[in-house]
Amino acid sequence: MFLRMVRGALFRQKGKMLMIAFTILLGSSLATAMLNVMFDVGDKVNKELKAYGANITVVPKENSVIDDIYQVEGDDEDNIKSAYLKEEELGKIKTIFWAFNIVDFTPFIDSTVSVDGEDVTIVGSWFNHHLSLPTGEELDTGITSLRAWWEITDGKWLDEQKQEDGAMVGTLLAEKLNIKAGDKITVSGKAGKKELTVTGIFDCGADEDEQIYTSLDNAQYLSGTDGLLSSIEVSALTTPDNELARRAAKDPGQLSIADYETWYCTAYVSSICYQIQEVITGSVASPVRQVADSEGAIMEKTELLMILITVLSLVGSALGISNLVTASVMERSNELGLLKAIGAKDGAISILVLTEIMITAIVGGVAGYFVGYGFAQVIGNTVFGSATEMKLMVIPIVSVLIVCVTLIGSIPAIKTLLRMKPAEVLHGR
Amino acid sequence: MERRKMFIRMITASLLRRRSRMFVALLAIAVGATILSGLTMIYYDVPRQMGEQFRNYGANMIFVASAESEGLNTENVEEALSCISDSQKRGVAPYRYETVTVNEQPVIVAGTDIEGAKKTSPYWLVTGEWPSEKGEILIGKKTAELLSVEIDDTIQMTYSAQALENPDQPAETDRSENEDAINMEFTVKGILDTGGNEESYIFMSLEDANELTNGESKIDVVELSLSATQDELNEYVDLISKKVPDITPRLVKRVTQSETTVLTKLQSLVFLVTIVVLLLMMICVATTMMAVVTERRKEVGLRKALGASNKSIILEFIGEGVLLGAVGGLLGSILGFIFAQAISMNVFNSTITFRVLLVPVTIIASMAVVAAACIIPVRSATDVDPAIVLKGE
Repeated sequence: MFLRMVRGALFRQKGKMLMIAFTILLGSSLATAMLNVMFDVGDKVNKELKAYGANITVVPKENSVIDDIYQVEGDDEDNIKSAYLKEEELGKIKTIFWAFNIVDFTPFIDSTVSVDGEDVTIVGSWFNHHLSLPTGEELDTGITSLRAWWEITDGKWLDEQKQEDGAMVGTLLAEKLNIKAGDKITVSGKAGKKELTVTGIFDCGADEDEQIYTSLDNAQYLSGTDGLLSSIEVSALTTPDNELARRAAKDPGQLSIADYETWYCTAYVSSICYQIQEVITGSVASPVRQVADSEGAIMEKTELLMILITVLSLVGSALGISNLVTASVMERSNELGLLKAIGAKDGAISILVLTEIMITAIVGGVAGYFVGYGFAQVIGNTVFGSATEMKLMVIPIVSVLIVCVTLIGSIPAIKTLLRMKPAEVLHGR
Repeated sequence: MERRKMFIRMITASLLRRRSRMFVALLAIAVGATILSGLTMIYYDVPRQMGEQFRNYGANMIFVASAESEGLNTENVEEALSCISDSQKRGVAPYRYETVTVNEQPVIVAGTDIEGAKKTSPYWLVTGEWPSEKGEILIGKKTAELLSVEIDDTIQMTYSAQALENPDQPAETDRSENEDAINMEFTVKGILDTGGNEESYIFMSLEDANELTNGESKIDVVELSLSATQDELNEYVDLISKKVPDITPRLVKRVTQSETTVLTKLQSLVFLVTIVVLLLMMICVATTMMAVVTERRKEVGLRKALGASNKSIILEFIGEGVLLGAVGGLLGSILGFIFAQAISMNVFNSTITFRVLLVPVTIIASMAVVAAACIIPVRSATDVDPAIVLKGE
């Protein structure tokens, strides 16, 4: 009998129930969309902030400052080697605990060469290097993405997969030596001589404007440093620093074991640096404060902003739903009065109404979840050009929200109606 | 005259008599309007507030001497700075670089306005204190390691024009015989950690640097952190290069270019979120209004049976809705401002600008949504024969 009554109510009042379901659908889709976007915004903004370049640099422990100042030229083999990093160890960066947070990494080797009798710094690096890692991951990395702010004033970016002897020249140097895109330049280094084709001239408003960039192999050949690197730039997704991270950055050894573990297993920039030092022999990895620090500040603000907007819209959709539920229960005063008049108990009536509304809410909520997920995808694709990740955490939050809101919306209204005398209700006040 | 009086009386009486239901409707409208005005206000304020956060990346414009000029000096820098509006300046720091020797080792010293440097490079991490008095210095981490100095140590710097010309044999020059050499003692106040080139420099005030170099004053470069969009920055570059030919302003591409990219994304994120939230909230308000009005089918039927025309009934319902919408919209604009203010204070620690234009926009939008939501159910009620409506279903 109970089931029949519920079914009857649901189907006979199709229009009204559909409207309730529709409103709940809207509310739940709003909640789903906002929560999904909120949980994902940190990662997304972090990726956008990669436009500022690497946030970690890895250099050899033998300080290059000493090298520069005393002009120590490599007298014996060991001395040279200790001032460089080993190229074969590069892949190890992708084996650290936070490997998945390493977005990009690019090696650099620099040396002095002469072009037309002029001493110039040449930097060897990856441009659009394709990496197949032992973990099965594929990665495209290099300065094309790590120096996204370079303005190419003439020619185009070097495509290292097609052009082996290409080079790019800084705008100030190009002006000085009168080089244009397409020109061939002869570069002679300590260990060899090579003819390079200039593919593009770049302008970046910094020291690089007076340098030549070419592929890693070319630069290593010119300076006789096969398999050696002078620095590695790493771009990693990090968690903003907190008090623990600052303490750990000074000396990880001072932390208690529990603190050390928390720190090691959180993607702080300092713990990622520490882990890189563990895998690359003789290296010092340090955060580039300009990038790492600012990233933290901006991400924190964006996340907080999104959280507050989400809360605002959750409150909005909660009020919207409970409002409509209240309105629709009150509308049924006649029916409830009649039920009471023919002898139904208060409990039975409440359960009947609640069951009806809960069924409607579940239908609306589930449909709303999918619609909301769609909205989240639209936002992710339009703004960031990539899909919004589906967070399972959203499902329980939305379900609890919908159930609570529906109950809060309906119970007071049912109570008010039940408190009235059936005669009054039926009479219409 | 009489008609209008009656109309107003009917509307107000119906609103007052059905207090609880009207309260539900009003609440729905107010919530919608709050979100409309609050989110729009935030949307307009995001570029400004977020742009402020991006100043953490440091200087976005530098002044260097033009090729044919004699270099930067206090006068031409002042002149160039006067071209930029004061409200946009977040930090200005002039720098001069000199090579000095400490324990016979060459070190680069940067003289600057310490307070200015603090503002143009907010990301500098200083262990110890920032120098504040004469004779105090900030030393880069690498240099500190190289010279093995710690905080509160005293180091002696030697500047000699002659030693610079002959950098390969600094040790051979006997200081006591070199009349040009200037020796000065400095106290290390703090150690600087940046992860960049700055770690190999020593920073001191411009006055100290001038004294160290025998009172000769000059400026090599001026760093500026301006809170401005890329277009505004480009305008400043054009203006300054025209007005002060001795100075070449240059944009720090890494900072300006990336800021524009990221900021555009962030703004479009807030825009899309606002649109989605508003769209859903508007429909939500509309359905609630429809529920409230549908409930009154009987009333419509009764009035029709008493001889009221469809037009007058619809007008009356819309009148009620518009009144509710106006009150809800006004309430919403006030609440929305409070919400936006709370968010702005929490996230950015700064107040939001109140946009007066948003108040009428919010009120009109609420009235329009409510009126549209009323029309559909009233229409369907008036279209039906009063007898059927009164009978119920």
